[in-house]
Amino acid sequence: MGAGRWRLAAEAHRLAALRNTRLIARLDIKGPNLIKGIHLEGLRVIGSPNEYARLYYQQGADELIYMDCVASLYGRNNLRDIVESAAQDVFVPMTVGGGIRSVADATDLLRSGADKVAVNTAAVANPGLISDIAQRFGSQCMVLSIEAKQIGPARWEVYTDNGRERTGLDVIEWVRRGVTLGAGEILLTSVDREGTRRGFDVPLVRAVTAEVSVPVIASGGMGTPQDLVDVVLQGEADAVAMADILHYRRAAIGDIRAVAQAAGLHVRTYG
Amino acid sequence: MEGQLKVEKRDVIGQYKLPVDVRFCSKCTISNQRPRISFDATGVCSACNFAEYKRKHVDWNEREKQLLELCKQYRKGNGEYDVIVPCSGGKDGGFVAHQLKYRYGMNPLTVTWSPLKATDIGRKNLDAFIGSGFDNILGTANGKVTRKLTNLAFAHLGDPFQPFIYGQANFPLHMAVKYKVSLIMYGENGEVEYGGDEKNAFRPDREVQDQDKHYFSGLAPEFWTEHGVSVADLKPFMAPPHEEIVRNRTTIHFFGYYKFWDPQENFYYCTENTGFTPNPERSEGTYSKYASLDDRLDGYHYYLGFIKFGIGRTTSDAAHEIRDGKITREEGIALVKRYDGEFPKKYFDEFLEYCSITKAQFDEIVDSWRSHHLWERVDGAWRLKHTVWQP
Repeated sequence: MGAGRWRLAAEAHRLAALRNTRLIARLDIKGPNLIKGIHLEGLRVIGSPNEYARLYYQQGADELIYMDCVASLYGRNNLRDIVESAAQDVFVPMTVGGGIRSVADATDLLRSGADKVAVNTAAVANPGLISDIAQRFGSQCMVLSIEAKQIGPARWEVYTDNGRERTGLDVIEWVRRGVTLGAGEILLTSVDREGTRRGFDVPLVRAVTAEVSVPVIASGGMGTPQDLVDVVLQGEADAVAMADILHYRRAAIGDIRAVAQAAGLHVRTYG
Repeated sequence: MEGQLKVEKRDVIGQYKLPVDVRFCSKCTISNQRPRISFDATGVCSACNFAEYKRKHVDWNEREKQLLELCKQYRKGNGEYDVIVPCSGGKDGGFVAHQLKYRYGMNPLTVTWSPLKATDIGRKNLDAFIGSGFDNILGTANGKVTRKLTNLAFAHLGDPFQPFIYGQANFPLHMAVKYKVSLIMYGENGEVEYGGDEKNAFRPDREVQDQDKHYFSGLAPEFWTEHGVSVADLKPFMAPPHEEIVRNRTTIHFFGYYKFWDPQENFYYCTENTGFTPNPERSEGTYSKYASLDDRLDGYHYYLGFIKFGIGRTTSDAAHEIRDGKITREEGIALVKRYDGEFPKKYFDEFLEYCSITKAQFDEIVDSWRSHHLWERVDGAWRLKHTVWQP
């Protein structure tokens, strides 16, 4: 590494240390169950979503993401009951997504206890929905969820319907457009890495964080706590979404937080 | 197309012995139009009943003991192959081969019959599978003959996939005889798991001679000599002579009899153990990304199944995922509504060229297989009379 690269790396490190890195537990839901796949395929039933949600809350997750990842695939949306019941005993911000097709759907979930809504498939079909939700509830509420699949060197395509349908949209262009329309946060899932434990797609995350100034949540591929450090320092992610590593008890949030701290990242600490 | 073939309307009902009164299973998405499937008095299909039986009444510890016995009986321990595992490099054959070799101490020879036109992901998966620790023999027949047979099978049987199915079923027999291996281990018995001839439900093996009836629509490869294909050209597609199969004491067993068969868990197993990667996007005609993804032309096999029986790939995939408890019937129906019968357009030009037919000829053949008890024409478009959401 030349001196210039060192300086850049040191600068990234300094910025990361200033930013607060959020540790988010991601719960993918299908019907009444918490599920998990590999590359969003072969969805395995893990257990009851709210049991896991409570556990992650107790372990100190900064936020939760509830994603009914097959809502669009099945043309339904039914997270409301799960969110309502989670809101009873989980007191960190909850982002909820899956099958949101209108402002009314978003209203419904926010009333049930969600703090933010994440939209993917419906936003691709109707980008105006991003502005509608942002205007009604504020950008901080409107998370643009993107399923990204690599299609060439430094090129990623937007997928919908839980990684099943191609859209022809370029991820970077879509992110730029989404933010212009009012998205206040990006949930960026790598279809290539999802469920594989091979680490985050750092170049993808970096390409997106370089493009927009809104917070970006990196999702898909976390195999070890070190992967989190890498995607924050090199990808400049503002937050990481974790699923497999938590569901299969490969690490608890406390351990992950300790590794992040030891690496010099600024994370929430407990008194 | 051979000469000026006149496409005649087919008697689908008679040829496949289909019930005229279409009914759907009350537990899954399959209908009674699947050849050889049966329904009980409460309207539940034989595959669903079998799925319940295998969950509730099979003692899997006892079955594993039987497997250990079988392995003991066939294990050679002298470095020679002792079991043939047919495998495309996918999740199912991969699971069987890996378990037999690394858990049960067998020495498998894995054998693969070449797809008509391999996909990149299929080839990659086969390489990864071999790389994960297996000997493999890839059988490939004369490409010109394969194309000719594809053309003939499409025109006469309404199934372009027949030549592949010949090789897939008969090549392992050739390899068994050649390498003096008596045991062939398949994954699941489709006749049992997905609905068909139930006589095999309670036995670990099957008759070698059922091949013609269950897999070849009653037409063995020899049939095509009538259409000018020489015996020499057909040889790779044909089974070895019966006496050689018998002399070799060849026996065909199903791993799904001995171990609980769950395709989704096979996917997890192979992701971890044999380097398996699912398709980057779903296959046309279904929602799945991990099943049957190695051939660019198999979409037309499934599509013709949809035309003949009203049962497309989504209906079949959803039905067995419902039986496996992966999705609910409601979810299955939503998927069927959305994807079943979707035309496989991605490789259509390639398919027409491969078969040497025009689009008009393709349409004519497809329409000749539409039976009046399943299809009606509404506003100039074909529509199924009975669907799982509107029986």
